[in-house]
Amino acid sequence: MNQSLFAAALLDPDAPLPRGIIDPLGRPAPKRFAVYRNTVASSLIDALKAGFPTLVKLLGEEFFSAMALVFLRAHPPKSRILMLYGGDLPSFLEEFQPVAHLGYLADIARVDQALRESYHSADSAPLPEADFQQLLGQDIAALRLTLAPSLRLVRSRWPVASIFAANHAGGPAPKPAAEDVVILRPEFDPAPHLLPTGGAEFIAGLLAGKTLGESLDLATGPIDLAAILGLLIAGRAIVGVTK
Amino acid sequence: MSIQSKSLIIAGALTAALCSVATVASAEDAMEKCFGVALAGQNDCKAGEGTTCAGTSKVDFQGNSWKFVPAGTCMTMELPADGAGMMRNGAMEELMRDLPEA
Repeated sequence: MNQSLFAAALLDPDAPLPRGIIDPLGRPAPKRFAVYRNTVASSLIDALKAGFPTLVKLLGEEFFSAMALVFLRAHPPKSRILMLYGGDLPSFLEEFQPVAHLGYLADIARVDQALRESYHSADSAPLPEADFQQLLGQDIAALRLTLAPSLRLVRSRWPVASIFAANHAGGPAPKPAAEDVVILRPEFDPAPHLLPTGGAEFIAGLLAGKTLGESLDLATGPIDLAAILGLLIAGRAIVGVTK
Repeated sequence: MSIQSKSLIIAGALTAALCSVATVASAEDAMEKCFGVALAGQNDCKAGEGTTCAGTSKVDFQGNSWKFVPAGTCMTMELPADGAGMMRNGAMEELMRDLPEA
């Protein structure tokens, strides 16, 4: 028996008992293997439940667990590190027929996943306020900002920020609207923030290494730049500046 | 739009942003790292790339794990005495007490 056959049988409940799985008397031990297979699946379901708390709230534990079983058999972990397992779940949800009518689920999964990535990102020190003051006298439009490694951007045509708030912070019932979210981690707990118009284009520009001026040009329509910069500074998300 | 006028717009927005953030920051209490005060499994963490340690402390008031507390309260907050009746206090640096058995 080799490892890949064993691993394949773990994820396929219809696969025959891998050869070589025997009890102390040398007889095939299908029940022992079944216990092991069940433990693998249930531990991965637990990892997905921990990783996608908003999805669990929206779908209920029972449905989520059944869906997670289908997912994990098709998308087993690629890494031995479980903490980021489930990166394929958003795209899986877009194709998963039983929830095809709930278009927002995939983007909610992206918010959950981005929060977890943010939580596990490296620390960074924010730019001191004195450095910001110095920028004011310069040709500031030509400068580039370095953003914190824990910053994540999720753009959506669904009201993802409102759906998240309704499920975690007792926010009001969401109204149909496209919402973009930036995830910031000023200390240890990342949180999603609703971006004003043009905010996502502007931040995407900064993330792509464009100058402040170029990033400003990316925003279509009116943009409340002071609000966006205020959000980034309060979230300790601006960590460097370069020419 | 010329780069100079764009710089003026950005500088104006940045000035407004710095003012609003300064007001918020002074309204919020500062926090400090405090060792030896977190209950088991409730410590905070200096997360590094590919690692996590938040919530990994094994015993209550573990001396080498810490929690963020409002600044100025770390050394003075009241903690239960240990099993031998010794007073416990929080500290700004790692403590040798209440370490989990290896």
